[in-house]
Amino acid sequence: MLIIECPYCGPREQCEFTNGGEAHVSRPSNPEEVTDKEWSEYVFFRSNPKGIYFERWVHSHGCRKWFNAVRDTSTDKILRSYEIKNDKPSPADLEDSNLTTPSGEPDVGSGNFTVKKL
Amino acid sequence: MTAQNNKDVTHIAFHQSINFTFDGVKYRGFKGDTIASALIRNNVRVVGRSFKYHRPRGIYTCGIEEPNALVQILSEHNEPNTRATIKQIYEGLEVESQNCWPSLENDLGSINSLLSPLFSAGFYNKTFMRPRGFWKKVYEPLIRKAAGLGKPPKPFRTTSTQLHHHVDVVIVGGGLSGLLAAKSLAKTELKILIIEQDGFLGGILKNSNKISTIENKDNKLWIKELEKKLEGLENIKILKNTLATTYNYINHLIAIEDRTTGTLPLDGNVDQILHKIRADHIILANGHIERLVSFRNNDLPGIMLAGSFEKFIQRYGVIPETNPVIFSNNSSCLSLIKKLIDLNCKPQAYVDSRSGDKIEPELLKIIHKKNIPLFTNAHIEGCDGKKQVQEISVRDAEGIITKLKSKMLCVSGGFNPDVHLFTQSKGVLSWDDEYLTFKPDKSFQNTIVLGSNAGIFQYSKIVNDINTKLSFLDHEPLLEIDLTLNDTDKYSIEKLWETKHEKESRWSKSFIDLQNDVTTKDLRQGIQEGFDRIEHLKRFTTNSMGTDQGKISSINALGIVSEILDKKVSEVGTTIYRPPYAPLSFASIAGRGTYDFYDPERKTSIHEWHKKNGAIFEDVGQWKRPWYFKSHPEENLYEAVQREAVHVRKYAGVLDGSTLGKIEIKGSDALEFMNLMYTNNFSKMKPMSARYALMLGEDGMVMDDGIISKINDKHFIATTTTGGAAKVLSHMEEFAQTEWPHLNVFLNSITEQFCTFNISGPNTRLIMEKVFKDIKFDNENFPFMTFGNFTYLKSTVRILRASFTGELGYEIYVRPSIALKLWEDLFRFGKDEGLIAYGTETMHLLRAEKGYIIVGQDTDGSVTPHDMDLEWMIGKNKKDFIGKRSLTRTDTIRSDRKQLVGIKPIDPNDIIEEGQHIILTSSIKPPVKMLGHVTSSYVSPNLGHSFGMAVIKDGKKLIGSKAYVSSSSKGAFEIEIIKPIFIDEENKRLVS
Repeated sequence: MLIIECPYCGPREQCEFTNGGEAHVSRPSNPEEVTDKEWSEYVFFRSNPKGIYFERWVHSHGCRKWFNAVRDTSTDKILRSYEIKNDKPSPADLEDSNLTTPSGEPDVGSGNFTVKKL
Repeated sequence: MTAQNNKDVTHIAFHQSINFTFDGVKYRGFKGDTIASALIRNNVRVVGRSFKYHRPRGIYTCGIEEPNALVQILSEHNEPNTRATIKQIYEGLEVESQNCWPSLENDLGSINSLLSPLFSAGFYNKTFMRPRGFWKKVYEPLIRKAAGLGKPPKPFRTTSTQLHHHVDVVIVGGGLSGLLAAKSLAKTELKILIIEQDGFLGGILKNSNKISTIENKDNKLWIKELEKKLEGLENIKILKNTLATTYNYINHLIAIEDRTTGTLPLDGNVDQILHKIRADHIILANGHIERLVSFRNNDLPGIMLAGSFEKFIQRYGVIPETNPVIFSNNSSCLSLIKKLIDLNCKPQAYVDSRSGDKIEPELLKIIHKKNIPLFTNAHIEGCDGKKQVQEISVRDAEGIITKLKSKMLCVSGGFNPDVHLFTQSKGVLSWDDEYLTFKPDKSFQNTIVLGSNAGIFQYSKIVNDINTKLSFLDHEPLLEIDLTLNDTDKYSIEKLWETKHEKESRWSKSFIDLQNDVTTKDLRQGIQEGFDRIEHLKRFTTNSMGTDQGKISSINALGIVSEILDKKVSEVGTTIYRPPYAPLSFASIAGRGTYDFYDPERKTSIHEWHKKNGAIFEDVGQWKRPWYFKSHPEENLYEAVQREAVHVRKYAGVLDGSTLGKIEIKGSDALEFMNLMYTNNFSKMKPMSARYALMLGEDGMVMDDGIISKINDKHFIATTTTGGAAKVLSHMEEFAQTEWPHLNVFLNSITEQFCTFNISGPNTRLIMEKVFKDIKFDNENFPFMTFGNFTYLKSTVRILRASFTGELGYEIYVRPSIALKLWEDLFRFGKDEGLIAYGTETMHLLRAEKGYIIVGQDTDGSVTPHDMDLEWMIGKNKKDFIGKRSLTRTDTIRSDRKQLVGIKPIDPNDIIEEGQHIILTSSIKPPVKMLGHVTSSYVSPNLGHSFGMAVIKDGKKLIGSKAYVSSSSKGAFEIEIIKPIFIDEENKRLVS
């Protein structure tokens, strides 16, 4: 279970939170004017990177506030959490964003080897 | 067959004998004995049958790693797969062997051993393929009967519980390294938790003969003094009988504590505690595990790991056999041989795979001095015997076989650091060429590995290692400790995974996984068939997939595979070690969360009245709602619903709708917010009026519905479906906080602050006028879809004129404290007008007659308002609302989408069933083109026939035409597709 830092309450166990998918996907301000494609990008499509991922969480069994967090999806390390109103941090500002995966696995695929790659 | 007591032990109370039964036979052991040690004391060798071949099996080890001796505890709710080597006996304990029929001695399943070609690697995948029809009737029942080891336990209520810890340091393992680490950290202010799986501290100091004194003190004294010191410290807590099973992310450890070791669990007492521990640093000092060697019939009862044999003597005070043959490829048997000699026993022979010049001189000296027959450069070729070892074949350096008559063979194939927890933590292993094993290399979390668990198999290096690894914690460096060893300082080993077979027969098998009956031949065959990746091979052969997870053999399997593939073991790699380290019961995971505590039950304020008046309840989410009311005890659901449905349309009925979700929306921007959240336009709505409203997801699909009451532009109250309340509130909160934080709006769940009664039927107005004498309920003063606040019993009640049945109706919102009083008043005044209480089933029938949909029944997340014939609810002039843009996507404007229609059978005797398909032909012979399916269906007493609602392709255009609906009893029957409204299309009743 992860420990997640709620910007309002402090670090809490993961079971108090609900994940809200990718962050910084803003709703078009003029829905009537965007094309079907642009609209469906907003409604249906999300990125799924290996590595740095900006995502939304809500402290559903706590203060019920939504906030954003940066998680390295290959290590599950949460690098930062911040209020919704704050800007997206640039990857360069994130300390230790170059974490290797648990077993130094290949860049592609999920070969979760327990033995060190030779 | 000669076990002998060794009375020089501290953990067995030889003066306190204990009676227990095994397979119905009475035996006697002593306080402190495990089932295994007690059975050995009684010279019981065969304790179970193996999984696949039903071969007789004995006790192979002396601890958690036991693959064979799994038993069923009859005296404790029939608990299966209990390790006999862990479970302590108590007076009256009843134990039964597993996996044998009709009896342990004469097991019919053992014929499988002769049929073994059928049961080779991958037999599940290959054997049960043909003929096709056999699977369901023959193979599956057979496999289900044979699957698993023990029998399922009887139902019982667990008394286990859970505890949380937040500490600075956890030390897993209270053995030599763990104790030394604790000693050096004792003076820091760190909060430390020590977890020990045994009921005592000391590990190797007590379980083996390897160390006799430490710091010039007897082991037992040294431990006692140190334990006393540690226990006196406030920052250190010791958990004994506690096994760390799981190492999760962010140093989260799960450990299970057995509180009833050696006693019968008594009702009411906590029997197990599941500890959930979060720590800054986790020190793994959980030691090592001995492994086996594969040879012919290496599973016969009478074969035991040498370290376990030593542990039985040292800890449980029983010498399983006074003259065993000892076989090893490493230096570790020195301490065992010394111990046996100390006890005036003499090994019958010592067989070492190493050549004489590689064997430790100290070992050779003792063997020569005591005249123990020695075979160097020699292997055990195999064992023979009926149900237990009787003859042991030794192949010497020249290849000559010598047969030894003996009943016991002690085997040591070397040691592995117990890396299970370390790899669960995502630490990385590396291969150690000297000790021929995997050992922890790089930690992924804040993990420190000490002692033999770190692959340090040299006593003189332990202290220095601890000092180096703990220095960052400001510990007190340890001084070098004096140890008197009965062992070599440094352990040495030579590679030996399997010995060569001399003779072949169907009975001759060389096992790699004893619990799952996997042979070394299976490994070869699996690789030959293409499963050369270790993860694939594991699943194909089921190697190391038992409850023991191959603790004593998985590294051997890697060794054998590496030789077959001609690769380095490090290239073969290990399979992933997954939690838990050892099985833990569901009871311990569930803890107190069972029965009443499993899920909260929500009851309305009227619940007791419902119960008294014959209500049968249904679960709606966590709510208990009256499903129907029995007018007499024999009345069934169908009869009750038919009666209630006629009655409501003729007189009046009231439904307890308190479970409806209610959300209060307040703030200066409440109107704008509501216009964005719902499809309807609330701008022109008059204050104190209400509207049926629809909520969509951003994908344009119907998400929820409810009635919105507008008090004014800054204050709304929304109702939601019973099941959707939490979801709708979260949805509103999400958009209020993330998309439109500039809107000034506050949301509050008031579901439980109000009880709601839905009263409807032609006589409703008469009843309401009697109960609320000061209120005018006529159409002019109280039109449809308006509401007002009134006083009842000095408290405010809100009455809304709305209806979900299509009849004249009101919804009354009242404080829970006076709700029952009001409910009873309704019946007091309504008795003469024929008021009855009705349940959810009748509500469903009545709303369907009127063509009202239920979100979640007639919708399934893939229908738009257009599909549901609800275009009229969309505020066309609104610039935006959630889901609006999606309603004009090419997919949502297709005309041939599935649309809501009403259906009725041509033959009024036919009954439409929910979920059946709407088709075009009376034949249901595949392939059948399906138009859609029935979403709701009821037998209506008001219409006199069955009817339903369905979503069908291009449904609106098909209204007026005929089709067929499939049926569970008669293929398909003809129906007419009509508008989805069956009663009072002109709304005359509604606004009467």
